[in-house]
Amino acid sequence: MRFAWLASILWSSLLLAGTPEQDMNVNTRYTVESVDIAGDNPTGISTGLRGELTRLVGAKLNPAALDDLATRIRQELHVRAVTHRLLRGQTPEHVRVVFDVRGTPAKFEASVPKLVYRSDGGTSGLAEGTATVGSQAFTFGGVSDGDDLAERYTGIIARYEDKHLASDRVWFRVDFESYHEQWSQATVNALDQQGAESDTPGIYRTRQNIEPLVTFELLRGASGRVNLTVGTSFERFQTQFPAARTESANAMVTTLRYHRRVEGSDANQQEWDAGYSLRAATNLLGSDFAYARHQGDVHYAYSWGRSQILDDLTAGAITGQAPLFERFIVGNSTMLRGWNRFELDPLGGNRVVANTLEYRYRLLDVFYDSGAIWDQGQTAILRHSVGVGVRQNGMYAALAFPIREGHIEPVFMVGMNY
Amino acid sequence: MRQTDIPSRNRKGAVPISRRRWLLASAAIPASCLWGAERLNLSVAWDGDDLHVAAPLLHFLAGKPLDRLRDGAAVVFLTQLTLTTDNFTTSLRRTPERFVFSYDLWEERFSVTKLGEGQRTVSHLSAVAAEAWCLDNVAISSTGLPQDRPFWLRFELRAAEPKDEAAVLGESGLNLTRLIEMFSRRPRDRQPQWTADAGPLRLGDLKRLVGRAARAL
Repeated sequence: MRFAWLASILWSSLLLAGTPEQDMNVNTRYTVESVDIAGDNPTGISTGLRGELTRLVGAKLNPAALDDLATRIRQELHVRAVTHRLLRGQTPEHVRVVFDVRGTPAKFEASVPKLVYRSDGGTSGLAEGTATVGSQAFTFGGVSDGDDLAERYTGIIARYEDKHLASDRVWFRVDFESYHEQWSQATVNALDQQGAESDTPGIYRTRQNIEPLVTFELLRGASGRVNLTVGTSFERFQTQFPAARTESANAMVTTLRYHRRVEGSDANQQEWDAGYSLRAATNLLGSDFAYARHQGDVHYAYSWGRSQILDDLTAGAITGQAPLFERFIVGNSTMLRGWNRFELDPLGGNRVVANTLEYRYRLLDVFYDSGAIWDQGQTAILRHSVGVGVRQNGMYAALAFPIREGHIEPVFMVGMNY
Repeated sequence: MRQTDIPSRNRKGAVPISRRRWLLASAAIPASCLWGAERLNLSVAWDGDDLHVAAPLLHFLAGKPLDRLRDGAAVVFLTQLTLTTDNFTTSLRRTPERFVFSYDLWEERFSVTKLGEGQRTVSHLSAVAAEAWCLDNVAISSTGLPQDRPFWLRFELRAAEPKDEAAVLGESGLNLTRLIEMFSRRPRDRQPQWTADAGPLRLGDLKRLVGRAARAL
């Protein structure tokens, strides 16, 4: 009965979900003849987004897709609102789509990009404000996150971003982060047990990072989008034991990402997103640590009607001796949900494999997670969990159950964009 | 989804007014009503099971919602009937309903879908006919209400906010700037809404419709 109230919420949400009103629009039987952008600031839309707008022509009207594109135009132009309207086309049974851009680009926007509460781990969140001048954006924010890493890091972030460095296919950004760390007693105890001969570095009390990155858009078109990001991460942290001293983990950073979305003939849609990232710390950059952190992920989604199936696969490996913030964890709010990460491995691991399979229908979301975390030379133990949740506009509430023998304590998670 | 068959006269532009609506209009119980700033009559009738309302002078397909419809958008109208026996101190029963209106750009006629259990759609309607169909499909059960007991009825109707303006939450998280904008919006920028009260009434005093068959009109 402990979670009966949550079951009630889930069930009520499904009842309230109703049918999307877009499906009821009588104009969905007409074909799109043309797409225009009108208003205060129609220029400045990326070529990729323009391509997606062009692809609407000749297809049956899909109001949900128009809503999605209006949101993306608004995000790209940083304007107050983007609406869409329909006009009769020149040809019978055809309609013209007009996106109206209203308001000058917002000079400042405040947002909460991430907020999540876990019944076994407290609250994690990020709040930030972004000032935009042309293609350049300055962001400043505060964060407290006990979900991503073995530590809870709390502090400030700042970012400078230029999305048009020489061309709109080259972006530049510099991230600055400064955190104060808190450690779980389980992590401290695990380090104590390993003793001084351990390969795992100790805990630290503060951490700062400066990370300049340049992103090149290598490919953009119907066959997908490929981005390559290169840069350097200058990270330093103050160790706590046996004596306070500053160490650094300076690394070359490379990320290659591929994204492709294919619209089917019957309102079906497939989406692929895959990436590989490498962080290579080397003494050449003045680093006290030398290691290479490899991580790959593949995301696939297939949507039809109001249903969607998704699969996320993540794998990673670290060679060399890496500080704790580089080590992988599972048993958080995205991987192997339902498990407590401190129970699985309080120090994180240098090998990880995790998969999430989800089925979504309207607001309902059921998932099956599996994964393993271990250190090189150890035996990997595959673990599983299942769960159910409701999702709407980035808001998400879920109850996850670890699959194991003995007492099972479910984990409740609620938040957005996690 | 069940498509209701529309009589051919509706397609030619005539306003379809059901038998029940004529009865409601002619046997209207004078009621204390307030539609926005206007005083209008809310007619109440009883079919033996449910209470029905009609307001021939209410034309909610106007202003911003009508502009949105003529721009090809689907507009959701939310209705709620509240039954009370103590002049709205406590409510005995509530029936919220959702209707999706859209406007065919080529045929210049309206389509209406009543969402929820027994979802129904009608199309090729004029504005007046679409409004009438919406009110025809709003009812509240009178079960357990003695014939001689006074009761009050409140009818509420409003257009839902367009999706774009409500998009405080999105892929980029909670946008605090938009949240502040939303709470700072002046009342006249909000979507129109109407409220009307009727009562005290008694079932025994109401003109009785022709049982359940009346609902199929």
